[in-house]
Amino acid sequence: MLKREEWEGFVREVDWTYSYVDDEAVYPEWQSGTGKVPREAWLGWEEDYKVSYPEYVATQREKETAAYAVKAALQRSTAFDDLDDGWKSATKMHFGGVALVEYAAVLAELKMARFGLSGAWRNMATFGQLDELRHAQITTYFGHEFVAKDPQYDWTQKTFHTNDWVPIALRNLFDGMMLAPNVVDVAIELPLTFETGFTNLQFVALAADALESGDVNFANMISSIQTDEARHSQQGGPTLEILVEHDPVRAQWVIDKSFWGSARVFAALTGPAMDYYTPLEHRKQSYREFMEEWIIDQFIRTVQDYGLRKPWFWDEFMRGLDTWHHGLHMGLWYWRPTIWWRPKAGVSKAEREWLVDKYPNWEKLYGDKWDVIIDNVNANNLEATLPETLPWLCSTCHLPCCNATQSRDGRWRVRDRSLEYDGRTYHFCTNACRQIFWKDRDNVNHETLIDRFLDGQIQPMDLGGVLDYMGMTPDVMGDDPDYAAWTKDYVGRPVSGLARAE
Amino acid sequence: MRSTELVPLHAVFATDFVAILVPVTADSTMAQVAEAVAAHVEGKRVRALPFEKVVIHQGRRLPSSLTVAEAGLNPLDHVTVEYDSAEATA
Repeated sequence: MLKREEWEGFVREVDWTYSYVDDEAVYPEWQSGTGKVPREAWLGWEEDYKVSYPEYVATQREKETAAYAVKAALQRSTAFDDLDDGWKSATKMHFGGVALVEYAAVLAELKMARFGLSGAWRNMATFGQLDELRHAQITTYFGHEFVAKDPQYDWTQKTFHTNDWVPIALRNLFDGMMLAPNVVDVAIELPLTFETGFTNLQFVALAADALESGDVNFANMISSIQTDEARHSQQGGPTLEILVEHDPVRAQWVIDKSFWGSARVFAALTGPAMDYYTPLEHRKQSYREFMEEWIIDQFIRTVQDYGLRKPWFWDEFMRGLDTWHHGLHMGLWYWRPTIWWRPKAGVSKAEREWLVDKYPNWEKLYGDKWDVIIDNVNANNLEATLPETLPWLCSTCHLPCCNATQSRDGRWRVRDRSLEYDGRTYHFCTNACRQIFWKDRDNVNHETLIDRFLDGQIQPMDLGGVLDYMGMTPDVMGDDPDYAAWTKDYVGRPVSGLARAE
Repeated sequence: MRSTELVPLHAVFATDFVAILVPVTADSTMAQVAEAVAAHVEGKRVRALPFEKVVIHQGRRLPSSLTVAEAGLNPLDHVTVEYDSAEATA
């Protein structure tokens, strides 16, 4: 019987010399993407934690058995009915936003399993695609259980098949990160930046939040997924090590743009869930604190360990931790008929005190607008709290242009960042989104919902037509779960300057 | 530009939190543009104030009687609408 160290090399290094075709035919540059890296450099690709196929199968079988056993036990309880609406919204957002991104990740892993330039890498990616397939299945299956209780859970599977603006933004990001690039760039964007940098840590935090909110089933699912992430995300490190040695400029650019895209999406989905949807008594830390403790420190260490620099947009990103997700939360709430969960405003007096404690500028930047919304709710003028046009969507991240910045004279305003290209004007939410668009301008980008609307693809050209185009139906479209929860503190105060009821 | 031609604008009203899509026509005056933008925001997210409103385009304050065509506003251009008062613009 061979010892582990005697066999583990040759089961993972399965490269051979081709005699009937040349290397380019098997590993075309547009898929394999070696660029300035000499072909033979990839033979040194080595993952830290090695695993064989029998070991992989045995471990995965145990994980699956455990996850489904807990689910089966909980199915008979009333645990779901007792969950807070805010937490349920966070899970709906997660199921719809993530289930089929996991499937896109299957395709990304398969691409690395086919076109990666080292047998060891292809081997690891083969396990990675099995992981992602499991994640797509377990997420879809766990979400499906609740469809009978609440039709919004149907968007677990449906979201990515619609033209709702949220999945358009997600498809744009993940197509650019997982499906379009060559495998070297995929390894830097997906396992290294997005998984090691964002999801792996976020899943740890999300599992803790789920337990705190009493959702053992969700915590169980997310923890099961997270253990896979920790293994397959290690494809990023060895790839980056080789790329940095031969082409550090490319390595820096690919990391920078994928960090930015990931941070924008996190601000839209994780930010509101942490700072608004999670019940006050269950909040452990603010979104900013979470980002600083879990994402930023580790990211900076990683790039420095590889001899790279902080991204050029670092100051803009750090300033955005105080604004991006607050603006996006207000946008998700105001345009609530366009989303498949029930966003709670989360701005009662006690919640606002917490927000100001965590974000000293919150009242100045957002409190005044929430006050007008609150006064309209209390004046029974809900019409004034519903949209009659579209928010402008950024041509890079596809999220609303809603990031206020402060000018030298002290005024906070949402400012325009635009450019002219190929005879038309594009608008962006931030300077970095504009810069990324410009550098990648010849890539194929998805059209934003605004582009589609102005192009006449959405008919009739009104909000009803837009909702129909998005696949939104009245039984699913979002509404606040409890207006009184955050407006009752302000009933009876003197008000002025409200819109007249129609 | 025909007078009834639609001109979709990228617009921000005063201290509002988001840029919005506001379609106007080429023959709309700046006073009408200001009201078209304000209709989505004023008293809904930004408290209405008793001041005149002014349209600002590329740093220029546009006279209220000027039309979209006369002002040279193109489709997809950015405008801001502010209350015309130092008190309101802090």
